[in-house]
Amino acid sequence: MNIPVHFWSYFRDLAGAAQGEVQVPEGATVETVLNAVYAAHPRLGALRQSTLIAVGVEYQGPSFVLRPGDEVSLFPPVQGG
Amino acid sequence: MIRFLQLTRTPIEEAALTAGASASAEFGAVIRFSGVVRGREGEAVIRGIRYEAFEAMATHQFQKLFDEMSARWPAVGSVRLVHRLGFVAAGDASLWVEVSAPHRGEAFAACQWLIDSMKQVVPIWKHVEPLEPS
Repeated sequence: MNIPVHFWSYFRDLAGAAQGEVQVPEGATVETVLNAVYAAHPRLGALRQSTLIAVGVEYQGPSFVLRPGDEVSLFPPVQGG
Repeated sequence: MIRFLQLTRTPIEEAALTAGASASAEFGAVIRFSGVVRGREGEAVIRGIRYEAFEAMATHQFQKLFDEMSARWPAVGSVRLVHRLGFVAAGDASLWVEVSAPHRGEAFAACQWLIDSMKQVVPIWKHVEPLEPS
Protein backbone atom coordinates (compact mmCIF):
# COMPACT_ATOMS: atom_id res chain seq x y z
CA MET A 1 0.00 0.00 0.00
CA ASN A 2 1.10 3.57 -0.65
CA ILE A 3 1.28 5.80 2.39
CA PRO A 4 1.44 9.58 1.82
CA VAL A 5 3.90 11.33 4.13
CA HIS A 6 3.50 15.03 4.90
CA PHE A 7 6.36 17.20 6.12
CA TRP A 8 5.58 20.32 8.15
CA SER A 9 7.52 23.43 9.18
CA TYR A 10 11.26 23.18 8.50
CA PHE A 11 10.97 19.44 7.92
CA ARG A 12 9.49 20.41 4.56
CA ASP A 13 12.78 22.15 3.68
CA LEU A 14 14.86 19.21 4.90
CA ALA A 15 12.76 16.78 2.83
CA GLY A 16 12.75 19.10 -0.18
CA ALA A 17 8.98 18.71 -0.53
CA ALA A 18 5.76 19.10 1.44
CA GLN A 19 4.69 15.55 0.67
CA GLY A 20 6.16 12.23 -0.35
CA GLU A 21 4.90 8.68 -0.60
CA VAL A 22 6.26 5.43 0.76
CA GLN A 23 5.25 1.98 -0.40
CA VAL A 24 4.94 -0.50 2.46
CA PRO A 25 3.51 -4.01 2.78
CA GLU A 26 0.15 -4.68 4.43
CA GLY A 27 0.49 -4.69 8.20
CA ALA A 28 3.48 -2.34 8.18
CA THR A 29 4.01 0.03 11.07
CA VAL A 30 4.89 3.70 11.20
CA GLU A 31 8.46 2.59 11.86
CA THR A 32 8.66 1.09 8.36
CA VAL A 33 7.69 4.46 6.93
CA LEU A 34 10.20 6.25 9.16
CA ASN A 35 13.03 3.98 8.04
CA ALA A 36 12.25 4.69 4.38
CA VAL A 37 12.00 8.43 5.00
CA TYR A 38 15.25 8.56 6.95
CA ALA A 39 17.07 6.52 4.30
CA ALA A 40 15.96 9.04 1.67
CA HIS A 41 16.48 12.12 3.88
CA PRO A 42 19.33 11.57 6.36
CA ARG A 43 19.03 15.13 7.69
CA LEU A 44 15.55 14.24 8.94
CA GLY A 45 16.93 11.07 10.48
CA ALA A 46 19.30 13.17 12.56
CA LEU A 47 16.25 14.79 14.18
CA ARG A 48 14.37 11.59 14.93
CA GLN A 49 14.58 12.02 18.71
CA SER A 50 12.56 15.23 18.58
CA THR A 51 10.28 14.31 15.68
CA LEU A 52 6.53 14.25 16.30
CA ILE A 53 4.49 11.70 14.36
CA ALA A 54 0.81 11.80 13.46
CA VAL A 55 -1.38 9.42 11.52
CA GLY A 56 -4.31 11.43 10.25
CA VAL A 57 -4.96 13.98 13.02
CA GLU A 58 -3.84 11.85 15.99
CA TYR A 59 -0.37 11.46 17.47
CA GLN A 60 1.00 7.94 17.11
CA GLY A 61 4.19 6.08 17.88
CA PRO A 62 6.45 3.99 15.64
CA SER A 63 4.63 0.76 16.51
CA PHE A 64 1.27 1.96 15.15
CA VAL A 65 0.01 -0.44 12.45
CA LEU A 66 -0.94 1.37 9.26
CA ARG A 67 -4.01 0.69 7.18
CA PRO A 68 -4.80 1.59 3.58
CA GLY A 69 -5.81 5.25 3.40
CA ASP A 70 -3.67 6.32 6.34
CA GLU A 71 -1.52 9.41 5.96
CA VAL A 72 1.56 10.07 8.07
CA SER A 73 2.75 13.53 9.12
CA LEU A 74 6.20 14.29 10.48
CA PHE A 75 7.03 17.56 12.15
CA PRO A 76 9.24 19.27 14.73
CA PRO A 77 8.05 20.30 18.22
CA VAL A 78 5.07 22.63 18.04
CA GLN A 79 5.24 26.32 18.99
CA GLY A 80 1.77 27.85 19.03
CA GLY A 81 0.85 30.98 20.91
CA MET B 1 -19.34 23.95 28.12
CA ILE B 2 -19.70 26.54 25.38
CA ARG B 3 -16.72 26.44 23.05
CA PHE B 4 -15.56 28.62 20.20
CA LEU B 5 -12.40 28.08 18.13
CA GLN B 6 -11.13 30.15 15.26
CA LEU B 7 -7.89 29.86 13.30
CA THR B 8 -7.73 33.05 11.30
CA ARG B 9 -5.53 34.90 8.85
CA THR B 10 -7.07 38.26 9.74
CA PRO B 11 -6.29 40.43 12.78
CA ILE B 12 -7.87 39.45 16.09
CA GLU B 13 -10.61 41.99 16.86
CA GLU B 14 -10.58 41.82 20.63
CA ALA B 15 -13.20 44.55 21.06
CA ALA B 16 -15.63 42.69 18.81
CA LEU B 17 -14.94 39.41 20.58
CA THR B 18 -15.49 41.01 23.97
CA ALA B 19 -18.68 42.71 22.79
CA GLY B 20 -19.93 39.35 21.53
CA ALA B 21 -19.52 37.72 24.92
CA SER B 22 -22.74 36.62 26.50
CA ALA B 23 -22.79 37.93 30.06
CA SER B 24 -24.02 35.45 32.60
CA ALA B 25 -24.71 35.80 36.29
CA GLU B 26 -23.38 32.25 36.66
CA PHE B 27 -19.81 33.24 35.84
CA GLY B 28 -18.10 35.39 38.42
CA ALA B 29 -14.77 35.10 36.64
CA VAL B 30 -13.98 35.85 33.01
CA ILE B 31 -10.27 35.54 32.18
CA ARG B 32 -9.12 37.07 28.90
CA PHE B 33 -5.57 36.56 27.67
CA SER B 34 -3.84 38.07 24.67
CA GLY B 35 -0.57 36.68 23.39
CA VAL B 36 1.34 39.41 21.54
CA VAL B 37 4.25 38.96 19.14
CA ARG B 38 7.38 40.38 20.71
CA GLY B 39 9.57 42.68 18.64
CA ARG B 40 12.71 40.80 19.52
CA GLU B 41 13.82 37.22 19.05
CA GLY B 42 16.87 36.83 21.23
CA GLU B 43 19.10 39.79 20.36
CA ALA B 44 17.54 40.39 16.95
CA VAL B 45 14.83 42.93 16.23
CA ILE B 46 12.16 41.24 14.13
CA ARG B 47 9.38 42.35 11.79
CA GLY B 48 7.02 39.69 13.04
CA ILE B 49 6.26 35.98 13.01
CA ARG B 50 4.62 33.85 10.34
CA TYR B 51 2.46 31.12 11.87
CA GLU B 52 2.04 27.82 10.03
CA ALA B 53 -0.51 25.20 11.03
CA PHE B 54 -1.55 21.70 10.11
CA GLU B 55 -5.08 23.02 10.33
CA ALA B 56 -7.15 19.83 10.39
CA MET B 57 -5.01 18.38 13.17
CA ALA B 58 -4.78 21.69 15.03
CA THR B 59 -8.57 21.95 15.12
CA HIS B 60 -8.88 18.35 16.30
CA GLN B 61 -6.25 18.77 19.01
CA PHE B 62 -7.83 22.00 20.25
CA GLN B 63 -11.18 20.22 20.55
CA LYS B 64 -9.51 17.40 22.52
CA LEU B 65 -7.97 19.99 24.85
CA PHE B 66 -11.37 21.61 25.34
CA ASP B 67 -12.77 18.15 26.20
CA GLU B 68 -10.01 17.55 28.72
CA MET B 69 -10.35 21.04 30.18
CA SER B 70 -14.06 20.46 30.68
CA ALA B 71 -13.32 17.16 32.43
CA ARG B 72 -10.66 18.70 34.69
CA TRP B 73 -12.70 21.83 35.52
CA PRO B 74 -16.38 20.90 35.12
CA ALA B 75 -17.45 24.30 36.41
CA VAL B 76 -15.89 26.12 33.46
CA GLY B 77 -18.84 27.24 31.40
CA SER B 78 -17.24 28.76 28.34
CA VAL B 79 -13.98 28.83 26.40
CA ARG B 80 -13.25 30.92 23.35
CA LEU B 81 -9.91 30.78 21.56
CA VAL B 82 -8.66 32.58 18.46
CA HIS B 83 -5.22 31.87 16.96
CA ARG B 84 -3.71 33.80 14.09
CA LEU B 85 -2.14 32.06 11.10
CA GLY B 86 0.08 33.63 8.49
CA PHE B 87 2.13 36.76 9.15
CA VAL B 88 1.58 38.61 12.43
CA ALA B 89 3.48 41.88 12.90
CA ALA B 90 5.41 42.54 16.10
CA GLY B 91 3.05 44.17 18.58
CA ASP B 92 -0.05 42.42 17.21
CA ALA B 93 -1.92 39.65 18.99
CA SER B 94 -1.35 36.12 17.75
CA LEU B 95 -3.55 34.45 20.38
CA TRP B 96 -6.69 35.39 22.28
CA VAL B 97 -8.23 33.16 24.93
CA GLU B 98 -11.26 33.67 27.16
CA VAL B 99 -12.29 31.30 29.91
CA SER B 100 -15.43 31.85 32.03
CA ALA B 101 -16.16 30.07 35.28
CA PRO B 102 -18.03 30.68 38.53
CA HIS B 103 -14.83 31.48 40.45
CA ARG B 104 -11.44 32.96 39.52
CA GLY B 105 -9.36 30.03 40.78
CA GLU B 106 -10.70 27.56 38.25
CA ALA B 107 -10.85 30.18 35.50
CA PHE B 108 -7.17 31.14 35.93
CA ALA B 109 -6.08 27.51 36.31
CA ALA B 110 -8.01 26.30 33.27
CA CYS B 111 -6.80 29.18 31.09
CA GLN B 112 -3.16 28.61 32.11
CA TRP B 113 -3.47 24.87 31.54
CA LEU B 114 -5.07 25.35 28.12
CA ILE B 115 -2.32 27.65 26.85
CA ASP B 116 0.47 25.47 28.28
CA SER B 117 -1.10 22.33 26.76
CA MET B 118 -1.65 24.02 23.40
CA LYS B 119 2.07 24.70 23.19
CA GLN B 120 2.72 20.97 23.65
CA VAL B 121 0.27 19.34 21.25
CA VAL B 122 -1.36 21.73 18.76
CA PRO B 123 0.58 21.60 15.47
CA ILE B 124 1.32 25.27 14.92
CA TRP B 125 4.84 26.53 14.17
CA LYS B 126 6.49 29.93 14.25
CA HIS B 127 8.71 31.28 11.50
CA VAL B 128 10.51 34.45 12.52
CA GLU B 129 10.53 37.18 9.87
CA PRO B 130 13.64 39.30 10.35
CA LEU B 131 13.58 43.05 10.01
CA GLU B 132 14.28 43.88 6.40
CA PRO B 133 17.30 46.12 5.84
CA SER B 134 16.25 49.71 5.28
